[in-house]
Amino acid sequence: MELRKTHIYQYHVEHGNVVDFGGFAMPVWYEGIIPEHKAVREACGIFDTSHMGRVYTEGPEVVKFLDYVDSNDVSALTDGKGVYGVMCKPDAGIVDDLIVYRRSAEKFLVVYNAGNRAKDFAWLLKNTKGFKVKLTDMSDNMGMIAVQGPKAAEILSKISETDPNAIERFNIAPLKISGIDCLAARTGYTGEDGFEVFIPDDPVSEPSKSLKIWNDLVSAGAKPCGLGARDSLRLEAGLWLYGNDIDESTNPVEAGLKWVVKMKKPYFNGKKSLEGIIEKGVPRTLVGIMLMERGIPRHGYEVYDGEKKIGVITSGGVAPTLDASIALAYLPLEYKEIGKEVQVKIRSNMVKGKIVKHHPFYDESKYGWKRVKV
Amino acid sequence: MTDEVKVENGLFYTSEHEWAKPSGEFVIIGVSDYAQAQLHEIVYVELPKKDASIAQGEAIGAVESVKAVSDFYSPITGTVVEVNDALLDSPEKINSDPYGEGWIAKVKPSNWEANVTKLMDAEKYKQHIATLKH
Repeated sequence: MELRKTHIYQYHVEHGNVVDFGGFAMPVWYEGIIPEHKAVREACGIFDTSHMGRVYTEGPEVVKFLDYVDSNDVSALTDGKGVYGVMCKPDAGIVDDLIVYRRSAEKFLVVYNAGNRAKDFAWLLKNTKGFKVKLTDMSDNMGMIAVQGPKAAEILSKISETDPNAIERFNIAPLKISGIDCLAARTGYTGEDGFEVFIPDDPVSEPSKSLKIWNDLVSAGAKPCGLGARDSLRLEAGLWLYGNDIDESTNPVEAGLKWVVKMKKPYFNGKKSLEGIIEKGVPRTLVGIMLMERGIPRHGYEVYDGEKKIGVITSGGVAPTLDASIALAYLPLEYKEIGKEVQVKIRSNMVKGKIVKHHPFYDESKYGWKRVKV
Repeated sequence: MTDEVKVENGLFYTSEHEWAKPSGEFVIIGVSDYAQAQLHEIVYVELPKKDASIAQGEAIGAVESVKAVSDFYSPITGTVVEVNDALLDSPEKINSDPYGEGWIAKVKPSNWEANVTKLMDAEKYKQHIATLKH
């Protein structure tokens, strides 16, 4: 089967190491995962995220509808504000995580994972029953580029008509970039300050606007980054990867996502099940592990306490910023205590690790968007 | 992406991209330039154990990049007499010098004559790599 191309495909094949990522031809790296990772923590990197799902949700009952499918409080948003949340099934299993941005009282932009594009659109559509809303899948007609890192605003400002710093965290606003009308949201998936730029009216078959902005960002000093660095950056930030750390068999409470679930809302998909889950308490929770010996923990490896198997790693790998090996795993509640010792089975070896804080793994005074600016 | 894959003459190769190089009464083993280029950015090496008895084709360690794990299959049968401990702190030596500083272990072979019949010389290995390119 031929791979689907994104807006930035032409650049990927010329400069990157391209693989099949959920049916899309995407770069794992251009120069290498480690230099790309470091560029984002220290300066500015850019990612093609045009494979993600983008849907305009419009109509007089759009707030009511989104408050029904999304766990977070959509009605609290004012124009230009966005919020991260999850969509749950009636049994509280997670359909996907997503961000919804309010453009106006009757128009929202909904952004979700690339791997779930077909599933999520069908899920949203099915749930529109009884609501006066209209969904329009913009994914193939809108480019998307993430500009991330402590120097993201500085680099983006070089090619923007107005100062992107006017856009606050989790806000979205029109921004003219390279002379092209775009939308810029101050969000991302790296833990760093940065923007997710949406480039409307740019069909994937003829993506000249997106390619121009991409190339201008490279010229302005941003480092092109592939999916490898995207994964290592989000892991260091303790951000959930759908399909690894959360899926339809996990609920937001055990995943550490209770903060995006607003139980005070009168009703939303999964609320009833979540009430039961919260009342009973969850038997397991997502924890962070850092290895104290050499080795690389990976998805699927088992976690032990002595002879007893206590869980499985959902995401793991090297953390270039920390010069350490880190992982996320679902473990019984008694293992959430920071400093507690566990072992990870790597091939035939039992490798010592300990529980550490994981959202994020790094020191927030030194790294990430909250860092102290020098 | 990969410019020119280096295949060193005088070495014997497996289809899994390990190499064996006779050196007096011992044989040095490691992974090929093709293997390191495929893995890219090697960040961890699990070395075989010193004094271990190993068999040709047996998984005796692993080479890992940020993204992937590749088992290291012994190209020969024998006893490990030395391992390249320097790789624990500098695994990237396999990327920069796979046939030199990136060697993995030194083995006292016990069945070299039989082992070598199952390995490829440089010419054959070059042909093998050519079949893998798309």
